[in-house]
Amino acid sequence: MAKKVDPITLSVVRGVLETTQREMTVALENTARSSVFNLAHDYSNAIFNHVPEMIMQGQDIPIHLGSLIPAMKCVAGYFGDDIHPGDVLMHNDPAYMGSHMIDTCMYKPVFYKGELVFWAVCKGHLTDIGGPVPAGYNPDAKELYAEGLRIPPVKIFDKGVKRYDVMNMILTNLRARRDQEGDFNAQLGAVQVGERNLIALLDKYGLEEVRACIDELMGMADRQMRTLMKKVPDGTYSGTAIVEDAGHGLGDMEITATVTIEDDNCHIKIDSPPQVPYFINSYEGNSYSGVYLGVMMFAQLPPPYNEGLYRCVSVDMGPKGTLCNAKEPAPHMNCTTTPMETLTDAVRLAFEQAVPDLVSASWGHANGCNIAGWDTRHDEEYVTMVLASIISGAGATPQQDGWHACGPECCFGALTSGDVELLEYSYPIIIHRYSLMTDSGGAGKYRGGSGTCWEVEPIDKPMTFITFGEGRRIPAVGAAGAKSQMTEPKVGRIEISREDRVDLIKTNVIETINPGERAANMNPGGGGYGNPFERPVEKVLHDVKNQLVSIEGARQDYGVVIKDAEGLEIDRAATDSLRADLVAAQ
Amino acid sequence: MRTKYRLGVDAGGTFTDFVLAGDAGNVSLFKTLSTPEDPTKAIENGLSLMAEGLGLKQEEIISQCDLCINGTTVGLNALIQHKGAKTGLICTAGHEDSLEIRLGHKEDGYRYDAEYPPAQMLVPRYLRRGVRERVLSNGSVRTALVEEDVRAACTLFLEEGVEAVAISLLWSVLNPAHERRAAEIVREMMPGSFLTVGSELYPQVREYTRTSTAVTNAYLGPTLKRYVDSVDRYFADHGAKYPVRYFQSNGGLAIGGAMTDRSVYAINSGPASAPQAGLFVSDPFDQKNVITVDMGGTSFDITLTKDGNTNLNKNIDFLRYRIGVPMIQVETLGAGGGSIGWIDDMGLLQVGPQSAGADPGPVCYGQGGTEPTVTDANIVLGYVNPGALLGGRMQLNRDKAYAAIKQRVADPLEISVERAAYGIFTIVNNNMVNGIRRVSVERGFDPRDFVLVAAGGAGAAHITALAREMGIDSVLVPKLASGLCAFGQVISDVKYNYMASAPHRFEGDATFGQLNDLFAEIEEQGVAHLEADGFARADIDVRRSMDMRYVGQVHECTVDIGNFDITGETADQVKEAFHQRHEQLYTYSERHNAVEVVNIESTIYGRVEKPNPPHLGDGAGAAGALKSQRPMIFSNDGKAVDCPVYDGERLGAGDEVDGPAVIEEVTTTIVIEPHWQALLHESGSYVLRRKA
Repeated sequence: MAKKVDPITLSVVRGVLETTQREMTVALENTARSSVFNLAHDYSNAIFNHVPEMIMQGQDIPIHLGSLIPAMKCVAGYFGDDIHPGDVLMHNDPAYMGSHMIDTCMYKPVFYKGELVFWAVCKGHLTDIGGPVPAGYNPDAKELYAEGLRIPPVKIFDKGVKRYDVMNMILTNLRARRDQEGDFNAQLGAVQVGERNLIALLDKYGLEEVRACIDELMGMADRQMRTLMKKVPDGTYSGTAIVEDAGHGLGDMEITATVTIEDDNCHIKIDSPPQVPYFINSYEGNSYSGVYLGVMMFAQLPPPYNEGLYRCVSVDMGPKGTLCNAKEPAPHMNCTTTPMETLTDAVRLAFEQAVPDLVSASWGHANGCNIAGWDTRHDEEYVTMVLASIISGAGATPQQDGWHACGPECCFGALTSGDVELLEYSYPIIIHRYSLMTDSGGAGKYRGGSGTCWEVEPIDKPMTFITFGEGRRIPAVGAAGAKSQMTEPKVGRIEISREDRVDLIKTNVIETINPGERAANMNPGGGGYGNPFERPVEKVLHDVKNQLVSIEGARQDYGVVIKDAEGLEIDRAATDSLRADLVAAQ
Repeated sequence: MRTKYRLGVDAGGTFTDFVLAGDAGNVSLFKTLSTPEDPTKAIENGLSLMAEGLGLKQEEIISQCDLCINGTTVGLNALIQHKGAKTGLICTAGHEDSLEIRLGHKEDGYRYDAEYPPAQMLVPRYLRRGVRERVLSNGSVRTALVEEDVRAACTLFLEEGVEAVAISLLWSVLNPAHERRAAEIVREMMPGSFLTVGSELYPQVREYTRTSTAVTNAYLGPTLKRYVDSVDRYFADHGAKYPVRYFQSNGGLAIGGAMTDRSVYAINSGPASAPQAGLFVSDPFDQKNVITVDMGGTSFDITLTKDGNTNLNKNIDFLRYRIGVPMIQVETLGAGGGSIGWIDDMGLLQVGPQSAGADPGPVCYGQGGTEPTVTDANIVLGYVNPGALLGGRMQLNRDKAYAAIKQRVADPLEISVERAAYGIFTIVNNNMVNGIRRVSVERGFDPRDFVLVAAGGAGAAHITALAREMGIDSVLVPKLASGLCAFGQVISDVKYNYMASAPHRFEGDATFGQLNDLFAEIEEQGVAHLEADGFARADIDVRRSMDMRYVGQVHECTVDIGNFDITGETADQVKEAFHQRHEQLYTYSERHNAVEVVNIESTIYGRVEKPNPPHLGDGAGAAGALKSQRPMIFSNDGKAVDCPVYDGERLGAGDEVDGPAVIEEVTTTIVIEPHWQALLHESGSYVLRRKA
């Protein structure tokens, strides 16, 4: 390895890039208006070089960052030579490598001494993007046009001059204009902070040295990933995961990832069925996020995170017009969770075939809700995505139990759910329950993390309750031989309690909940790792004591017999014999 | 009548510092090794050392103190080591898990780390007992408290040997009746237990924060109580005339009883006194914008004070536990003299956060350390004199430091040892600069508007380099830098925070009246508390603040409003102050939009008379204090230049030293880079300025 750059400067440049990304994030969070930004962290920031390659990926939402890699190239390519100092570009359209339309991106080219040197980029989930259904998720959409406003690459600043006409055109099409405008300002602030810091860096070290350092940082990420790939035996491995029928009536669908390892290179081929007239089609940009997250669930590498990680990874997303490589006008709004999480699982499973000891289990998929209605306290409409409703369990790893309440898989712990009292203060609702769920974590030598239940009742006026996602029939997939017997508590579901009955719902629906009625949104737990019958009985007992596992769950899932429900005493003899039987039956 | 002394005892990770301030402005500093397993030991040892040094008996010193102050790490250590009390939680049924759900988040920096464990629970799930009851967001009761549920929880706690109980119910901040009744039942059934009630400790909206704060308080309470009782007893036995005061993370003092009941205020007490000290040493220069940087053996602590007001943190994760009560914002990095320089898997030079600590310590200590530290680099760079540490009581080995840097850093990077040492210096500085940005730039402040005050044994060696990197032109290094936090404690006031929740749109006389009544109510409690502590009403001060935001926003910003009542007229001033604070923090305001209040807070101060500042005699010029010359390195090329070394003890007021140079004090070394100049001021601080 030729050492071209000064090692000290290299460390400093890396620190400045990380600080810059962090300050972009702080600027965005402190100024944004919507709770999806403020409370939930549903945004991401990144820095690109002139090529443009992603040179700094934050630790933000995985679903955003993978897709930014092709999106940045697509948007820069669209304008070609027509990019000037003072420009700011905006875009959300999946046909131009966007993820889903409600995630809107801002791109600021950074010029230094007249030369385009960097891009500061910010992507965030708005609370609304127009279209017939508030908050964007429309399970009845048959086409992209029924899901909101498509924004192809446009300039919102042209050589430093704000394009009020373009902004007005966009804002006119969105609900809650004041909030959306505030969020756009916040994004603009973030990319400006990025620009300011990057220029200061160049002033100090000069373009040539900074570029050399960045090349080296990308080279490091590349070498890290290649070193890892080299450890995987050459060969072809495949993994298949199932996208559940979440109410469209088209039946279950399969996504298969075929991973071919040759020396230190990795090729991933995706096979998925033809696209469907339901909001779960994933365009190419979004599918990159799914594939890259699957790779990272295997790789689990430390920073630096940049595009160098994926230099040795080539991807064939399958023919246009398929579920994972959709073409216009396929509807897509649900794609960042479904089928993205299934796609991630397929890639992860293929790697598990290759190196079973290294790959973590799948996390619970998103099974969430949006709510809307009338707030009589202020006489105004309310609408929001409820991030607290998608908090699932994390998958167990080869080293430890999965984290409780950390998912969904597509967000990998980056979301926050918001305080119960703040939500009740902001919306006319009573949250009756926000808790972990017994027996929800996947069984394994290492247990999957518990999913959560979020139960809500509207005050005064009926509430519109819109569900999205899946993971309601098939539990999060375990790893290294982990398997649960008691599956029902491990999947997502919705229970609506009315005066005389409780409805169990496992599809995507739009329901009306009246005051006095309750909707409970239950999220799946994470998958387990390793053979559950090898889990030490003390750990099972500990989980039973804490009601993370029931006495019946201990018997069925772990072969542990507890004879005294009061004193929680283990029947060693019965446990040994039950475990022996269960192992024999495996 | 004034007594003779004021005593500050500050326990740190490595050393416990003792500061004795006399009424003539004379200050003495003593250091003894900390004894974390029994912290009262270090106090005994230090007091003996001090008594010996001054030729007095412990009793003579203690009985002549009007204030004995203790900053303690007992709460911090119990939290780090999870050695608090066995604790139970009583909460609203359906919400038993907010502590463990932690808002569904995994900390940044660990997202793809398969081995990063979840935070250890201070209360396991089976001891978090839900009780049927419900208050709604308007304070009305939806479901009455089912008392048998509380009794059942207590029965379980008694069976399980629970020592401490936290009660935290939803919306208790608007209607505390259920919490109060539950507390009565707990007191009746578990009379020996330590009890914390959420709405009393932290009456602010945000259930997760309140519950977590109450649980942490209960968890630490019994440990703090044992410690406070034993320190109180020690001082009482040695003739103390006044109760010992303890230093809190909010930057003020508290008596032992308050420290026990509100133990969560104790968790970061040590470094929280730095702002007071920073303001004190900056006062002769009319500076009220101060950043303090305290670099010790293992950590680097930063605080920021603007216009005399120090950054506070509320609602933050501290050691992975959400804490609501206000704490002085102390940004702590793993960057100290003992921080280790190492090459990571990708061949990058990193410094810290691992530290060689006090044992084995840096390689140059010759106690068996093999990994090169910042102190080792500073020796190779010529900044630190191998023979001058602790006034010559400790000899350092430069050759060992040189060899370790060569082997672990220079050879792998294929650079010279001198360049490698300068690299370690540069990178640790860079880490520290990024930390300073977090308390300044991220809080909406430009660091160039501040004076930098150096503290800690290692801070002064880095201070001009840090100032250069930040673009700061003026730096203060007190001769007392190494014990600045202990000094900060002896010049602090007694301080209690009282809070209430008041979610209202900020408009209309009815709302203003309610807010005034609430302020009056919490202040009455606070004043009564201080009067019981022995303060005259004239020495008690009240400062009000409100957490405000625009309707629709989620994050509040805190607006200080002095101590006046809110009327139609003053309301406009408050709104204006809010708009301005918003601009300062977030670059813009929305003057056309409605404003709401979320929480209110009154800070009650018991004013303590400050000791006199020191007054140095005039010097006869720096030349007389010149000790020697030695080569030092000030650039990335590793080239050394010959620089003068001055003896700080021989410098007097008005003496000037031009950089590059070094001034050696007994417990610290001040490095003055090229293009900087030091001037010793009569108040006992060096003023370092960048030369035009």
